[in-house]
Amino acid sequence: MYNLLVFIKKYNAVLLFLLVEIVCVIMIINSLPYHNRKFVSMSNNISGGIHTMSANVGGYFSLKSENEILSQHNTLLMNELEKRRFPTDTMIHHEKFTYMPAHVISNSINRVNNFILIDRGRLDGVAVDMGVMCDGGVVGKVVNVSNHYASVMSMLNTETILSVRFAGNKNIASVIWESDGYRHGTVKDIPAHLQINDGDTLVTSGFSNSFPAGIMVGTVEDVISSERSDFSEAVMRFSTDFSTLQHVYVIKNNFKAEIDSLCTTH
Amino acid sequence: MYNTLIKNILTFIGLLLLQVLVFDNIRFGNFIHPVIYVLFIMVLPFKTPHWRLILNGFLMGIVIDIFDGTPGLNAAATTLAAYLRPYVIGIMTRKSELEKKEKPTVELMGFSWFLVYSLIILFFHNFAFFLLEAFSFKLSGVVFLEILISVPVSAFVILLLLYLFKPIKKNKNL
Repeated sequence: MYNLLVFIKKYNAVLLFLLVEIVCVIMIINSLPYHNRKFVSMSNNISGGIHTMSANVGGYFSLKSENEILSQHNTLLMNELEKRRFPTDTMIHHEKFTYMPAHVISNSINRVNNFILIDRGRLDGVAVDMGVMCDGGVVGKVVNVSNHYASVMSMLNTETILSVRFAGNKNIASVIWESDGYRHGTVKDIPAHLQINDGDTLVTSGFSNSFPAGIMVGTVEDVISSERSDFSEAVMRFSTDFSTLQHVYVIKNNFKAEIDSLCTTH
Repeated sequence: MYNTLIKNILTFIGLLLLQVLVFDNIRFGNFIHPVIYVLFIMVLPFKTPHWRLILNGFLMGIVIDIFDGTPGLNAAATTLAAYLRPYVIGIMTRKSELEKKEKPTVELMGFSWFLVYSLIILFFHNFAFFLLEAFSFKLSGVVFLEILISVPVSAFVILLLLYLFKPIKKNKNL
């Protein structure tokens, strides 16, 4: 027994070394088939927090270019989607709508009539009456174009009227803004017999030449039904956050001239 | 005593954060990546008991492992480096010289001594690391070549760090 103690004392470093290495190797081998699931979950709390912190800080450096890439990618996808929507004839140019990314240069939300300035103009192919949307939903309509810039009449404008459709029951209504805060608009012309619930989704109807059908507009928050009128009203919450607008898409209707020519001949 | 302890803890945390947040994000090729946390083992005083060296090595390695999600890998490699440290120093330096000096730093031991010292320690560390990693990954000639490049790169970065964080007090004494 004494000899053993002497042995341990003499070779304590070697023994400790071997012991530690054996522990390490066991850990390595144990982690192999399970892809170190247990170990990772143990490390998530502390090291995960620090890694997240580092990613959060590091992320800001590339935020701008990252956004740029995302916005371009979105445009690409939307154009692709538009191509899929009318897969009839490959000989003719049929995408009804094409999308163009743009940046918001200036934006107001607290006036009675709000306008947005974007950094795309006539030379980029922007024209009056084109629709503007963002990832969140409808933004507005182009009302004035210079060579490099365009001003957009925001949904937050008392002159704006947008034709919308209830995503659920396909009924038509229209959305206006009565300058009651940048979050809420008013849905008018809802047929009184319709059963509208809070949270019902409103999308664009596609009747205007500015927007394709099915773009998110907002959700119903409060229904105001009147006994006397044939139409009820509702308060709607915009899906677009107008206070943080940055990247928008200008929507070009490729058949606008054709449709317009029909309208004038009537 | 407490002063040294706090200093060691700060070195530990500093190296850990540098390794995990900065140098783990730097990779040239697949396997060349600067390993700097071994510095913690390298600059402990000469008088540190052997068993404490080993435990310190294990501790440093296992914490890095927790961050990298590689259980035991760094720990095993660092433990080996810590275990071999006294032998490496013993071969490189005369005993009489060791008794006069406190710890292996560039200032006390000279640049070329420290360079060779760090190259040897790092070589053992990297060798163990890649050998153990080969349990799960294929070890090829290319990997071996990259170990050989990794070691000098790490040594270079370590010397750079030592130069950057050189204590100012020492300069006053000179």
